[in-house]
Amino acid sequence: MAEGVAIFAEWAGDGLHPVSFELLSEARRLADELESKVKAFFPAPPGQESQAEALIRHGADEVLYASHPAFENFLDDAASRLLVKMIREDTPEIFLFPATARGQALAPRVAGYLRLGLTAHCIAFEIGKEDRTLIQIRPSFGENVMAKIISLTKPQMATVRPGVFPKAKEDPARRGEIKKFPVSDEDARSALKVLERRPKAAPKVDLSRAKVVVAGGRGLGTKEFFAKLFELAELLEGAVGATRPVCHLGWISEDHMIGVSGQTVSPRLYFGFGISGAVHHLVGIRNPGLMVAVNTDPEAPLMKKADVAVVGDVREVLPLLIRRLKELKGESHEA
Amino acid sequence: MRFMVCLKPVPEPGTVRVDPETHTLKRESATLILNPADRYALEAAVELKEKTGAEVVAVMMGPPNAAPLLKEAYACGADEVYLLSDRAFAGADTLATSYVLSLAAQKLGAFDLIFCGKVSIDGETAQVGPELAAWLDWPSVIWVKELSPVEGGFEVVRVTDEGEERLVAKTPILFTIEPESNDPRPPSVKRLLEMLEKDVPTLTAEDLGADPARLGLEGSPTRVLDVFTPTYEGKKELLEGAAEEVVEKLVSILKERGLI
Ligand SMILES: Cc1cc2nc3c(=O)[nH]c(=O)nc-3n(C[C@H](O)[C@H](O)[C@H](O)COP(=O)(O)OP(=O)(O)OC[C@H]3O[C@@H](n4cnc5c(N)ncnc54)[C@H](O)[C@@H]3O)c2cc1C
Ligand SMILES: Nc1ncnc2c1ncn2[C@@H]1O[C@H](COP(=O)(O)O)[C@@H](O)[C@H]1O
Repeated sequence: MAEGVAIFAEWAGDGLHPVSFELLSEARRLADELESKVKAFFPAPPGQESQAEALIRHGADEVLYASHPAFENFLDDAASRLLVKMIREDTPEIFLFPATARGQALAPRVAGYLRLGLTAHCIAFEIGKEDRTLIQIRPSFGENVMAKIISLTKPQMATVRPGVFPKAKEDPARRGEIKKFPVSDEDARSALKVLERRPKAAPKVDLSRAKVVVAGGRGLGTKEFFAKLFELAELLEGAVGATRPVCHLGWISEDHMIGVSGQTVSPRLYFGFGISGAVHHLVGIRNPGLMVAVNTDPEAPLMKKADVAVVGDVREVLPLLIRRLKELKGESHEA
Repeated sequence: MRFMVCLKPVPEPGTVRVDPETHTLKRESATLILNPADRYALEAAVELKEKTGAEVVAVMMGPPNAAPLLKEAYACGADEVYLLSDRAFAGADTLATSYVLSLAAQKLGAFDLIFCGKVSIDGETAQVGPELAAWLDWPSVIWVKELSPVEGGFEVVRVTDEGEERLVAKTPILFTIEPESNDPRPPSVKRLLEMLEKDVPTLTAEDLGADPARLGLEGSPTRVLDVFTPTYEGKKELLEGAAEEVVEKLVSILKERGLI
């Protein structure tokens, strides 16, 4: 019988990908509700017992550690074959994957081999009351629609983007079991051979850690006016975010996109200028301290959601705000 | 060598409707366009064909009215194009879609490479490519931004979360292509005219020898239970009036909260 809530614990070349601990917090919550256990499936190179222990301290009851030197690198084909083998032997009820580069390469391969349902980029889960079904919630087609999706197959599988769930708290007293999952050279065989890893020169725009996010949408009108957001961001020591259409219009690079297709932010202060507030964008804003919206339309969803809704034209409000903040800075410098 | 390129017809943003009963996309109601990311997949295949002398076969699972998109693909350099179309395909999730594509890959020839787009703008799952590779028991590499033939396979550069990786891959293999990693050519007018009068060859479930239990909504292991529009009722502060006043008020709120 299928049992347990499993996560893919992602080996990121030099340690666990931090998203692994985010998946653990949600897996723990689901397992508690189901009165079941949390299993971490952990393919990695040898010698990573301490990482397996970290997974236990963060909520796993069992770690299935599959070690082989080949897993120093991520090998899409070998990793998916191995996971299929692990799932066949250890049949979890639910399997959560990170929607990282590796997770997105792996999860669909596993789903394909095992003929399973897989729901991409979920932002929340619920457990069906009668039948223990995993209800997977994700933004859907069209504007402003969320969908509740279920899988008719087990394990019920879903991917989750980094930043969606909080990191699990560490409990040094937690105990669990590390099971070694045997890996043969045949299991690790791959059509791929990694020759070189090239780390990013400059880190890509990382909005996830920004304390202040100044985001803009189509309501800013032009690329030139959109650029004003950088001035405001500088004054507030924040980062610039954007909606998808604005990225597609070429006003700013996609690295700045917030939402299902972009990054997740959780700033102390979020500003949305000329943004309607489609769910696709809103799901990328988690627990903002204060949310401010500026829009000519008071009925726009973002205006309803915001803590402070400014009814106004961004072409007036934004330059005034920048000027006012500059004045304030000047005053404090003189003081 | 023979390459297959998977092209998805997607509704033009803003023209989408959802079937109130099945909660699946009502494709008949929408204007169809070629999924933007798939242009890069097609261009990558055509560029490689020009280097290696391969044939490029474009396939699309979609409704009959998607056929003109395949004519466009022909005009952009595909040598053969096929529409995979059958009522039985309707409502397919990614597993049922990748199943049909895998049948086409087996039927249409011994392929060395399959190219997919990174992600579609409607389903937005990025699952169909790697799932297709699994149906075929092929390896796959996602987010490929450079590729060149080497002895026994291809050398590729893929995008990762940490940066990039250079690797060698044996064929047959499936790649999903990183958008903006090339410069898709416009359709050739001459080739467009060539296709004008021709019908796009269509393959049905029967032509593909499909297992009916694996098709469409019935063959899809995921189900949409419900769709809903979230509503928000924050205890918000509404600032209205002259711009000077609202900005002043906003600044004082930010000060109060210790945010500036
Ligand atoms: C599968 C899928 C995935 C998606 N993923 C994302 C995603 O990750 N991130 C994302 O952001 N979007 C995403 N979208 C798009 C999303 O659905 C919305 O279309 C988008 O967020 C809207 O962007 P916007 O608010 O900039 O534009 P609009 O919806 O056009 O809103 C513009 C707003 O500006 C206001 N405005 C106009 N002029 C002024 C003015 N002078 N002053 C003040 N206000 C003004 C208008 O009242 C309006 O509310 C996705 C869509 C789909 C289908
Ligand atoms: N119906 C389809 N016909 C052909 N190719 C498809 C189809 N659906 C998805 N694909 C391919 O799979 C990629 C990813 O799609 P998706 O999983 O929907 O994000 C697309 O970019 C296409 O290359």
